[in-house]
This record gives sequence, C-alpha cells and structure tokens, in this order.
Amino acid sequence: MKNKTLSIFLALVAVVVVFIAIWQIGKIFNPDLDLDETALLRFVFVGVGLLLAFLVYLATSKHKMWEVGTREVVYMAIGAALYAIFSYLFNGTVFVVPSVSQVSLRPAIAIPMFFGYAFGPVVGLFTGAVGNMFGDALTGFGLSPQWSVGNGLVGFIAGLSWLFSDKKKGINTVLLISAVLTAIATAYYLMNPGQANTLFYDVDNGIFGDAQITLMAGISVVIGFVLVLLVRFVFGKNVDVAAAVTWSMLGNLIGMGFAAISDIWINGYSPAVAVVGEFIPSAGPNLIFAAILVPLLVSAFSASRRQTGR
Amino acid sequence: MLVTWRYKERKSIIQYFDPRAWIIFYICFIASTVFFWDLRFLSVFFVMAILIVIFSRIGWKEMSRGWIFIGAFIVFFSMLTFLTGRGGMELYTTEHLIRNVNFPFSIFGWQPVMHISWEKTFYAFSMILRVFSLASMTILLPYSLNPALYGIIFKGLGMPDKFAYGMDLTMRFIPTFGRDFQLTRDAQKARGYELEKINGGLLKQVRKLAPLMVPVTIHAIASSEDIIDAMDLRAFGIGKRTWIQVLQYQKRDYWLIALSLLMLFLVIAFSLFGIGKFWVPAGLIS
Repeated sequence: MKNKTLSIFLALVAVVVVFIAIWQIGKIFNPDLDLDETALLRFVFVGVGLLLAFLVYLATSKHKMWEVGTREVVYMAIGAALYAIFSYLFNGTVFVVPSVSQVSLRPAIAIPMFFGYAFGPVVGLFTGAVGNMFGDALTGFGLSPQWSVGNGLVGFIAGLSWLFSDKKKGINTVLLISAVLTAIATAYYLMNPGQANTLFYDVDNGIFGDAQITLMAGISVVIGFVLVLLVRFVFGKNVDVAAAVTWSMLGNLIGMGFAAISDIWINGYSPAVAVVGEFIPSAGPNLIFAAILVPLLVSAFSASRRQTGR
Repeated sequence: MLVTWRYKERKSIIQYFDPRAWIIFYICFIASTVFFWDLRFLSVFFVMAILIVIFSRIGWKEMSRGWIFIGAFIVFFSMLTFLTGRGGMELYTTEHLIRNVNFPFSIFGWQPVMHISWEKTFYAFSMILRVFSLASMTILLPYSLNPALYGIIFKGLGMPDKFAYGMDLTMRFIPTFGRDFQLTRDAQKARGYELEKINGGLLKQVRKLAPLMVPVTIHAIASSEDIIDAMDLRAFGIGKRTWIQVLQYQKRDYWLIALSLLMLFLVIAFSLFGIGKFWVPAGLIS
C-alpha cells in the first residue's frame, strides 16, 4: 500500500516537472510566451476535490463508515446507475420538465443525497461522481469533471452524518454552517442582482443562459433553507428525516460551491458570475428537492426495511 | 433480472484492440477534443470519429435510436450557438458582421433582428464538430464492449477490485433501471398519473415527481438483496479477487496506447502554448 502511494506521488511530481520543462523550453523559442492552462485546470480541480475527501478520510479513518463490503459495492452501483438514468431522463431533452421562474427542475440530485445519507460517504461519493459522469456520457454533454466531483462531494458530505452516533448532535452544527453559507451566497446576490443566470435555458423564448436572474431564482437558496428548516422542525421527532435533509443541505452547498468556485479559474468567471450565475441557480433548486424528495425517500426506505425485516 | 446493452461480437476496429487499450484511447480522445476550439484541429478529430464509426461495423438499424437522439442534440446545440453565440463570448471579443437578417414578423411591435457574424458561424461549426466527435465515440462503446469484461477492464486500468466491480455493476444496472423506469411510469399512468401535465406551483411540481422516483429507487434497493446474497455466497471481497476472463495486451494494443498518450501529450503541449484556440480565417475578417 505504501509503495502504491509513493509511486502515485512520484508520477504526479514527474507530470509537474514535465510541464515546467515544456514551459521553460517554450520560452527559448518565444520569449513572450503566455502559459494557457485553463483547459488543464479542470483536471487539476478533480484532484483537489478528491484530496478534500481523502483528508476527511485520513482524519477519521478508524470509523466504521469507511468499510466497504459487498453491500456497499452493490449500493454504490445502484446509486450511480439511478443517478445517471434520472439525470438523463430529466435533463430536458427526453422529458420536458417545466421550470418556474427560472428555477428549472433537476430532481435527480436527491439520489446521491439519499444514498450518501443512507449508506455512508463512500457510497455517496461514488454515486454522485460516477453517476454524473455516466449521465453526462448518456446525454452527450461535454466534459466537466469538476462538476462530477462536486456532485460526488454532495453525496460524500451527506454520508458524513454517520460520524455522529447521536444524530441530534450533528444537526444543529450543520444547520448553523449552512445558514452562514446561505447568508453569504444571498448577500452576494443582493450585491450583484444584475447577473445573468448562466444555467437557465429556454429555447422557445430565445433565452440561452443570458437572461437576468430573477428574484425568485436569486433567493432560491433561502427558500430551500427555509424549507429544510421547516422539515427539520415539523418532522423533528423523526430524527432520520431531520438529519437526512440537513446533511444533504450542507453537502449540496459545499459540493455545488466547490464546482462553481473552481469555475472561477477554469472558465475565467468573475466571483460574482460564479456565485450568482452558477452557484445559486444550481444549489437553490437542489435544496428544494432535498427538502421534499429526500424525506420521502428516507421514509419509504425505512418502511420497506421494516417490512422485509432488514 | 438484468437487461443488457446490445453487444455482439463484430469484426470491428474497436474489437480488434484490447478493450483496456480502447478505453485509454477513448479517454485520451475525449480529453484532447475538449482542449480545442480551432475548426482545423477539430476537423481532424471529426474525421477520426467518422472513420471509427464507419469501421465499427454497427448497422444503422441497431444504432438508429441513438443517432436520432444525437442528431436532435446537435441540432439543438448548433441552433443555440448560432442564434446567440452563447459561450462564444469567452472565446472572441469582436464580431465581424456578415449581414443582419430582419425577420419578416414582429412580436408585440418588436421586430427581431439576427446578427450573423463570421465568429458566430465558425463557433457554431466548431461546436457541431466537437459535440459530434464526443457523442459518437461514446455511443459506440456499449455496442462494442463485452459486458462480461467490464469488471476486468476497470481492474486492468488500475482500479481496486471493489471499485472495478462497482463500475461493472453500474454499467450493467443502467439499462435495467431504464426499463424499470418505463414500467413504473406505465403503471402510474394506468392509475391516472400524468407526467405530461405537471403544473401548479414549484413545490407541487416537485412533489409530483415522487411517484416516479421513489418506487424505482426503493425497488432497486429491495431487489438488490438477491445480488448481494449471490455475491456473498461467492465470498466477494474476502481475499484477492481473480477474474475468470484474462485480458492480454498484444503488440497492436501497446501501439494504440502509445499513440493515444502521445496525442494527449501533444495536445496539452499545444494548449499550453495557446495553439488551438478559437479560429476564424484572417482573410474573412480583415
């Protein structure tokens, strides 16, 4: 195992050395050479995202949630396949799912959240990352691996709820962190209300991600947050539902945040475009789905478990 | 019950090579295409994709559904890029007008005008080539990779046993769940559920998707018990895994891998030097 880590590390060092060499050699031919690394960065950010997950693993490697047995292998495959199928079906080319005031419906995100929460962070990470990759491949979309990793982080963080043996304890901390993140994003929106919603397409009306973001879409993260809060207190007695929605919310905020923020370097977006044009229109609707579909999935799952006695 | 992709043995260019070598080539091809916006470079990849499609020996009848989907997708994207130039904004700053087209109709007294510029036209063409190259290479894979080899392919590419098997299962589950989804939709329709007429407020709409998503998901988890039992009975994950099929690289596979890596490496070097960005013939815009 040690040898393997070492060889991976050496390979990475070698790659860096090669690129620095290319850069230096290039300078000999053309003194005012500008290094253009944007296309490469999207692969770098995949590494950064996975490294984040790996650090969490190192910090808590003794915990039993990291064990991967037969059950987990099958569940991660099911999760990834379901996520791929649902995102393929609901992406707007197969079923036209309507959108309300620029909040387009992408319900598939509930799958990595639910699988992460129910079966642990490893299953969540695999479900989100691999499912998104296959979903993109099915649709024929281009390659944005940083969003795959972002989706993986959604499931991964939803699964970190297993760290707390007493589920109630974790919930409040998570709510607090999420509240802060929501407040920051919304404050950003209120400061830059004129941004375009880069994720909103409406071909019939000639809108291709260039329409100004509506108030409804702008505060969708807040709407989602309030919904999650409602679910948490209305279903307060059912700790499972409450924990599932709050951890899914945190996962969604951090995962989508990671992908959007990495676009600052990858696509050269300004922070305002990344936060208002990408993060809010993706994270906001996702939160609304988390609040509605995740509780349904969690309660249906526990009902089916009671029935079969597993 | 598992539904499978429509794989069968063919004398195709894809099956001529070791599947691992082909996957490496596929990844390098996709990654290389993504680096370019230059029509000249993209057309090289486009020609490669076309040749591979022809020599994949997959009949039109087998693939027609996939191609129709891709066709619709490409039309959608080219319309999108041509009408608006969206996405191109990051690649070019000035536009050179060919002509303005005034639409013969008006909407509420506003007459739409379409600005056709060289940049938009070339951007649309580049987009079509890109999307076609990426999508056509992907669509060939399920027809040409033997499902029995999925696990060993991913293992051979360096993934740990368990994750390789996870990828294997994922690829096998996708068509199965696609069918399950259709069955569930039909069953719900028979009970009066109408997906086509989803209306009402946002929350109501979201709530209405539950009758599709929840049964499919829970059924998948419940029926997985059989698969888990079957794997446990064969002592899955107890020791080092062996695979019943063995893949062996031939000389040609090493050539393919070497060429793919060389291609990717060259492309990265090009892009580091800023070659292969968006291009419009200088003669047209001077």
